[in-house]
Amino acid sequence: MKDLCHFHTAAAALVIAASLLAGCAAPAPEQPPSAEIPYRPVASIREVMNSVIDPSVDVVWDSVKTVIDDGRMTDHAPSTDEDWAEVRRHALIVSEAANLLLMPGRPVAPPGATAHAPGVELEPEEVRALIDENRDGWNFHVQQLQDSLGSVLAAIDAGDSQAMLVAGEQIDTACENCHQVFWFPNAVASAP
Amino acid sequence: MKTKIAFAVLAAGVLCAGHPAFAHHPFAAEYDVNKPVTLTGTLDRMEWVNPHGWIYMDVKEPDGTVKRWTVETSGPGQMNRRGLRKSDTVDGMSLVIKGYQHRRDPALANGRTLVLPDGRSFYIGAVGGPNDGADR
Repeated sequence: MKDLCHFHTAAAALVIAASLLAGCAAPAPEQPPSAEIPYRPVASIREVMNSVIDPSVDVVWDSVKTVIDDGRMTDHAPSTDEDWAEVRRHALIVSEAANLLLMPGRPVAPPGATAHAPGVELEPEEVRALIDENRDGWNFHVQQLQDSLGSVLAAIDAGDSQAMLVAGEQIDTACENCHQVFWFPNAVASAP
Repeated sequence: MKTKIAFAVLAAGVLCAGHPAFAHHPFAAEYDVNKPVTLTGTLDRMEWVNPHGWIYMDVKEPDGTVKRWTVETSGPGQMNRRGLRKSDTVDGMSLVIKGYQHRRDPALANGRTLVLPDGRSFYIGAVGGPNDGADR
């Protein structure tokens, strides 16, 4: 039994040493997800936006605000650990939902759906074409969204409501920039 | 019981969410550049919140009735950078807001300029509005 233990210890040491050597020789790059991972997109991009991102980002945005009403000005911000944890949960949802947007093969909108604002917003098939021909741009804008959530998470972890307000504007900027490129490239409001 | 609690939470959420719920559509998708409005009235409530702020004001109509308008503004950061401070506004004060009416909601507008009772004027438009010079 004692010999067996020694054998296991030696074997484990060899494995660790081999791993360390391999690590020194060539650090293994982080592997991108394989295209062969059998994920199955269920929701369209529009549905991910409406069902996952919007409800959660609204919680993040709404968590810090000032209301002027009833003769007074009231600042609202998370105050307890549970308040901050709740906002953090929603920030994580949006941050990870960005990965859902990066997954190739996800339809832009449900079958048969049309633009919400015809003539201003592109039709789903036009959005699809823009994404397909500018995949790098799509990835960039989606990761801008994810980066803005990184600022939100840092603000949450620091318990800094003012930084939350600043990071909240960064989220909006990321949203607007992406929508402008892929959904509303022609939406220029002319002078009256 | 759980159903009742869930409903109560949902109902509270709906009641608290007084502002329109459209999601980040650009100006042209929501507002009509051919329907400029000038609203003179009293501030009832203002929310400094991302991504866009909200002003609720009562405006006396020509027939004497009072119409409650909701005005979308830029976010708190942008309004701050343009010089408007939270302490500049108090409910009940007189306001003049110029903007553009919503395409479908006749009591909703996108604000462009806000004039306080002391005469100071601020650009409150969000990014993507018409090139009408309000930001200069």
